Amino acid sequence: MTKLADNVNPNVYDKGSEREKTSEDYNEDIEDLFDEREIFDLIRNINDPEHPLTLEELRVVEESNIKVDNKDNTVVVSFTPTIPHCSMATLIGLSIRVRLLRALPSRFKVTVEVSEGSHVSEHAVNKQLADKERIAAALENKNLVQIINQCIATV
Amino acid sequence: MTSAWFKPELAELIINHGDIFNETHSIIADIVSGHLDIADLVENMAGVLTNKEPENREKGMRFYTKILKELPRDYLNDMQVKFISKFYIDRLKDNHRVVPPVIEGYSVLIDMSEYNIQNCTDFLTILFREVTCQSQTRQDRYNIYVIIQKLCNKDIEYLKSLGSDFVYGVITAMDGERDPRNLVFLFEFLQNFIKIFPLGHLAEEMFDVISCYFPIDFHPSNDDPAAVTREDLANSLAPCLCAIPEFADSCIILLIEKLDSNLRLAKIDSLKLLIESCKTFTPQSYSPFLRALWSSLNREMSHKTDDELKTTAHEALGALVAKMASTANTDQDFENFLKGVIISAQSTIADATTVAQFVKGTKILLTAANASNQSCASITRAMVPATVAYYELKTAPKLQIASLDFIGDLYEIANKKGLLDEVKAQITNVPQICLSAVSQTSKEFQMAGFKTLIRVQECLGEDLVLPFVEVLIYNVQHAQDNDLLGISVETIHVIARKYPELIMDLVVKGKCSIDNISQDKIAFQKRLNVLTNLASIDDFTKVIIEEMLKIITANDPEALHVVEALSGSISMASVFTIEKVTQIESDHGLIDPVLDWLYKEISSSSPDALAHGYTLIANTIGSLPPEKQENILIKHTPLALERCKQDDIYFLIIECLYTPLHQIVYNSKFEEIMTVSLQVALKSDKDVVRTKACVLIAHLLNKAEHGQKFELLYEMLKTQLASCNRGDEKLCPRLIQLYGWITKSLLMRGSDVFLFWLQKIVGILATPQYCTHGSEAIKLIMNENTDYLNRKQHCRISLLYKQRMFETFSVLTEKIKSNLSAETKESYLLSWAYVLDKAPKTVLKNEANKVAPIVIDCLEYDNKDMLQVSLDVLCHFVQSNPTAVSDSLQTILPRLIALSKYMKSMDVRIKSLECLYDIANTFRTSTLLPYKQDVLLDLAPSLDDKKRLVRNVAVRARSRWFLVGAPGEEKPN
Repeated sequence: MTKLADNVNPNVYDKGSEREKTSEDYNEDIEDLFDEREIFDLIRNINDPEHPLTLEELRVVEESNIKVDNKDNTVVVSFTPTIPHCSMATLIGLSIRVRLLRALPSRFKVTVEVSEGSHVSEHAVNKQLADKERIAAALENKNLVQIINQCIATV
Repeated sequence: MTSAWFKPELAELIINHGDIFNETHSIIADIVSGHLDIADLVENMAGVLTNKEPENREKGMRFYTKILKELPRDYLNDMQVKFISKFYIDRLKDNHRVVPPVIEGYSVLIDMSEYNIQNCTDFLTILFREVTCQSQTRQDRYNIYVIIQKLCNKDIEYLKSLGSDFVYGVITAMDGERDPRNLVFLFEFLQNFIKIFPLGHLAEEMFDVISCYFPIDFHPSNDDPAAVTREDLANSLAPCLCAIPEFADSCIILLIEKLDSNLRLAKIDSLKLLIESCKTFTPQSYSPFLRALWSSLNREMSHKTDDELKTTAHEALGALVAKMASTANTDQDFENFLKGVIISAQSTIADATTVAQFVKGTKILLTAANASNQSCASITRAMVPATVAYYELKTAPKLQIASLDFIGDLYEIANKKGLLDEVKAQITNVPQICLSAVSQTSKEFQMAGFKTLIRVQECLGEDLVLPFVEVLIYNVQHAQDNDLLGISVETIHVIARKYPELIMDLVVKGKCSIDNISQDKIAFQKRLNVLTNLASIDDFTKVIIEEMLKIITANDPEALHVVEALSGSISMASVFTIEKVTQIESDHGLIDPVLDWLYKEISSSSPDALAHGYTLIANTIGSLPPEKQENILIKHTPLALERCKQDDIYFLIIECLYTPLHQIVYNSKFEEIMTVSLQVALKSDKDVVRTKACVLIAHLLNKAEHGQKFELLYEMLKTQLASCNRGDEKLCPRLIQLYGWITKSLLMRGSDVFLFWLQKIVGILATPQYCTHGSEAIKLIMNENTDYLNRKQHCRISLLYKQRMFETFSVLTEKIKSNLSAETKESYLLSWAYVLDKAPKTVLKNEANKVAPIVIDCLEYDNKDMLQVSLDVLCHFVQSNPTAVSDSLQTILPRLIALSKYMKSMDVRIKSLECLYDIANTFRTSTLLPYKQDVLLDLAPSLDDKKRLVRNVAVRARSRWFLVGAPGEEKPN
């Protein structure tokens, strides 16, 4: 049985350019701090669970919705589901979380939440995503891990 | 005469003893030699052929068929064939068990040279009446098809005379065929069959039978030995469906229906069928369906993610437009269709908010324009003014730039089709748009404007030259960006070819005039670059070169810049051809003034500052024919040698005179030059001069003619080097460097004597005192230097010399491998690294077992170059030949992880992380799993590396390792 996607024909946006490499990037002596763009680059290419499109192309994640604080070691990512009743919101949030869990140094405290007012059950989703135990439990579920791995495999 | 086949007992034998089947060759021998008549043989078989049991009759027929198969094809005469044919036809009516050998046997019979085509009438009638093809086994069905094909090949006209009964028989026989192999055969056969046989009222029937396979839905099993792929089937089916114009209606309806299906493959197959059908169907047959076809095509072309579908849809549109265009003058349909395409594309373009959407619309138009002259003219006429207007609407910058590109593309297609005259009125405005684009300050606009202008150069009007030149000259003097500078110079060049007089006045004698020095030096240098570039155009050569030579002769302070600009331009082969340089030298004499200038400056300036002068002379001499080169040598050698005796800095002049010579140039001075070079190479205090001397020696050795001349030089070299004092500590490093150059030169020449010198160098690798110099020499041999020993300087470069070096080196090092100390080991491995770095990767792959341990050894040393090369090679092995390193994973992984924290070089960190990624990507999950947890833990610190580039690779590697053996990993094992 093939389930039809929630949002069959989403708007597709242009992909941004790759981060330009500056001479500072090649200078061994300069320390590059984590910035919003770097976090964005980590998650922009995550695949949407429903479409063969990336979160960037669907504008689920945007650079302006990411906050990084190197001093306090915090990263806050808010994402915007394509439609307010998207049933995949939790899954997308979970994918972003797992991706950052694997790709960021452990010193950072990562918060992933739905942008304010973009989803009907915003609070429920945010609560789920903030609950460490529920995340850990979700990652015990083989089927779920498989879907998440497929979403983030190509990054 | 005791053999069984001479007696009636043969029948008994066939029934009860299978062994007789193995003796048919003896029977054939008897028949051919005339001992046995085939009629007698059949008589002897009577018992089995007319046996009551069908099982036995089958055996009998099988035996008979086997005999027929093994008989020479020309043995049977007309009567015999006729007789046997009758017999076989009769047998078709027999029990179903008997039929397979009968069919097989008849197939053989057709091959007999005396087979008369008239025999087949009865056969076919009985076959179609008595045998239900589709209830036979796969092989028997195949045999029936083969028989039909063979008969067609034998006498097509006779079969045609059989009329529609035959065609009907064929259709019935294949109706319902399911086996893919048979289908491929049938489709191939039918492509011609349908074209040749008049189908008459059976056309519809035929189409129904084959169209039920469309679109092919077939999934071959993986272990099929004679695999038929879906593509094979689809590719052979399509030509059948559109083999004759009579199929047109049904075929087009079918493909439109399938285009609307949800299956991706159905769409792709339908599009391919549409493309194929354009070869046979008439334009009129498409007319009623154009609207439906266009709406489907348009939908597929606007697909967002499926590129294959999109490309195929474009191809289909192209084919359709080309087809319809053939009726352009007689029918309204084409025009209406094209109008529809243009309007729909225009609305896509007008609605576009992103470049992707814009390009979607333009791409459709370009495809349609590319398909035929008529469509190209209509689209250019409609779209160029529309796009110009669109540009002026000032939507988004990105879209404006895209619209410029689109105009350029359209123009190019029109130009290619020779339609420029027809659309002249529309395209005259284009340069104006380019001008408004280049007048913007943003780099993107300027680049796009110049690019388009270069494409539409033909229609640039005289009145626009001045404003363009204003912008260009400003760019040339002030642009910081290399891309922009490059394209500006190119644009001036293009305009100059079209309007030489204007550019002469405006640029050469106007804004860029050499006399106009007052401004800052950098702008002056850039103007000189433009001028030297323009000098390659015939109209400008004289004026510019003479001006410049004047400056050089007068020894102005600017001479240095002029020489630099000249040298830069002349070395670009794309701008200055060899003929052009030769012409400049013979018309204006470039070498003499530059040499004079060098003589004056040499004592006061540093060698680096004059390097451009030497390069200019070398490049110019290199472009001249051999006789001219000889003249120059005769003229200048004596003075240069004279001066060189006083101060070896003058050797640089000798070097630039003698390195670029042709191979056949040789004069009496060569020996003296060789002696001087050797002295300088070993004794001079200046590094540059010593290196140049080595280069010259290498060039002389490389280019000397085979035989006497080479022997003479080589012996001289050997005796003079033999007399050197090996104890001199200062001399030894210089000698080793010279050995390197000699080896390189001989190796590239393809001469075997290089071995002698390479042995010396390898020997040095084992000595603690000089081993580092030895590895430097190896580096020199392997490195490609663009300035020396290249084709432009007429050197011999033998094929695969690097491979030869690799092989020889690995043999030679076998000897010293055992007695290496800790000190020499590093140089030894470093030399290996240099060799591996440049050796062709395919060679390494063959020698993996030998190379892999060396590479793994290298990973332990703290030497940046060596680590980079060995990581490179290791990555290569992991990707292309994983078995070579799979046993050493236990050693490799910890070393790579240690290197991922190598503080001295981020390149090493990046490389080692990439290698870890490749390992996770290529090796079997079972091999990797034991290391997974350790690697994941050890990679965590790299995520916090201070360099972002390293972090990116670390993330990639670690994420990949997370997937090892995890659900959702896409890996075949």
